[in-house]
Amino acid sequence: MAEYLGVKVDIASNDRARHEFLEAAGEGRLTLQKCVECQKLRYPIMTACPFCMSADSNWEEVSGKGTIYSYELVMHPIHPAYRERVPYPIVLVELDEQREYPTLDDGLRLVSSLVDGSGNPEDIEKVAINARVEVEFADLGDGLALPRFRLSDDVPEHELWRLPS
Amino acid sequence: MAGRLKDKYAIVGIGQTEFSKDSGRTTRALGVEAVRMAMVDAGLRADEVDGMLSYSGNDSTDSPTISSDLGIRLNFYMDVNGGGSSTEALIGLAMGAIEVGMCNTVAIFRAMNGYTEARIGGTGRQTPVFRGASLDQGIYGMNSAGQSFAPSFLRHMYEYGTTSEQVAHVKVAHSKHASNNPKAYYPARVTVEDVLNSRWITKPLHLLDCCVETDNGSALIVTSIERARDLKQMPAVIMGVAGRVSKPQAGYHWTRGPISRVAGHYAAPIVFGQAGIEHADVDVTGSYDAFTFTTTLQLEAYGYCAEGEGGDYVSSGIIELGGARPNNTSGGHLCEGYTHGIALVAENVRQLRHQADDYCPNWQNGEHTYDYSAGGCRQVKDVEITHNLGWASPPTGSSLIMRRP
Repeated sequence: MAEYLGVKVDIASNDRARHEFLEAAGEGRLTLQKCVECQKLRYPIMTACPFCMSADSNWEEVSGKGTIYSYELVMHPIHPAYRERVPYPIVLVELDEQREYPTLDDGLRLVSSLVDGSGNPEDIEKVAINARVEVEFADLGDGLALPRFRLSDDVPEHELWRLPS
Repeated sequence: MAGRLKDKYAIVGIGQTEFSKDSGRTTRALGVEAVRMAMVDAGLRADEVDGMLSYSGNDSTDSPTISSDLGIRLNFYMDVNGGGSSTEALIGLAMGAIEVGMCNTVAIFRAMNGYTEARIGGTGRQTPVFRGASLDQGIYGMNSAGQSFAPSFLRHMYEYGTTSEQVAHVKVAHSKHASNNPKAYYPARVTVEDVLNSRWITKPLHLLDCCVETDNGSALIVTSIERARDLKQMPAVIMGVAGRVSKPQAGYHWTRGPISRVAGHYAAPIVFGQAGIEHADVDVTGSYDAFTFTTTLQLEAYGYCAEGEGGDYVSSGIIELGGARPNNTSGGHLCEGYTHGIALVAENVRQLRHQADDYCPNWQNGEHTYDYSAGGCRQVKDVEITHNLGWASPPTGSSLIMRRP
């Protein structure tokens, strides 16, 4: 049975795309749906292309490198799985692929966790907009894994910005 | 060009139970009391209401039950899924149902034990499981409304230099208003320092940036302007309405940018276009204050200030009683109580009637002191036009402009 932070992960048997996404992650690959018609990547998982309405897509592996676009630092936990993990960051990662599409304000963005080298929540003092990150994978069991991110050594394109304390 | 139905429909009755954290009653009892109060307010008998609409995303009781308890036979009803921003959307649907002849007079209600039964972010007591769409964000610990919306606000801080201190002024203003509202759950005035010193919930949100959760039932009655003329109260005439206007890919707020721009950006031309008015014509706003920053981002998105200047706008004194355009004169969700937006519409109906139920001895007669000290008046002087800004999430919102006849 797939499980994350002690909580059951239950993927509907008819949700084939989500299975495939997590199976690829289980093999250490971050893959996104790529439209067969317009060749655009998309996220989150969808059943048609939001740019051209095509129903057909293939999975394409992406670099897993990106930049923190926004974030928050959760101090008061709500979900039982996170009760022992506060404080923890939630990051909005913009991937390096397909930036500024379909407008200059858009990109491929993923809500994710920012974790340290041991898979624990990253030190909240280190989280910043524009910080560079790279994907890692948390094993869920059953050959599945969940993509998460950690800070990378890449040089940021823009100055880091943190919430004033 | 103004909308085809401008000035043809009105809100003719409002009803609200108390705001509490211990109603001790079912949502059925709360809903019946609210609808009954709205009917009494309007002077409508059971055989004069033939439509009913309600919304819920958690606990409620459906229209067939509420109407049956009051002896109302319905020609039209729907109970829809939805939280914030449903009120204005259902007012528009009520107008449409009446316009096509399905019914004549519609009661809209929201009845919730939002504290004692079904809390918005969950209670954490349910057996947890990650499934379906929760694998896109819930599994990463993004579960409550505050957790879900916070990155939109943080990005606004980054892009425009908006500060926690600026948005704290929303709580300060609404607490000032609540101090003159006998119904308010939190009637005490607070300072910017109180907000900044309250504990963190999820940075950048402090406890006092978040609204209260309450038990409450509230109801409104919509009918045509012709029928409204024969009823007991001065009608709040509907000039324009926009319902659940969305950004692209509205399922999540974080997919399409700029994420700090909320759905009001798209709703504004619809509602102002129908009403045929400008911002300067609006005397009072009612902006959904699930959080301090939701009000800030909405006032900005609707064009009450330039993009990026929401922080300056809400901290300038404009939104306070005595200011140029007060917002949420009841105290709003932050201080009066939380019923998914419907109470904010009820408050603007009271403002248009010049009957804010404050501490002025003769408020029922529209007599007010306009002394806004604590325990005093909360009626805005000479209100002619109000604007409600409903919020479901950053990418979905609704809107309503009303006027005095």
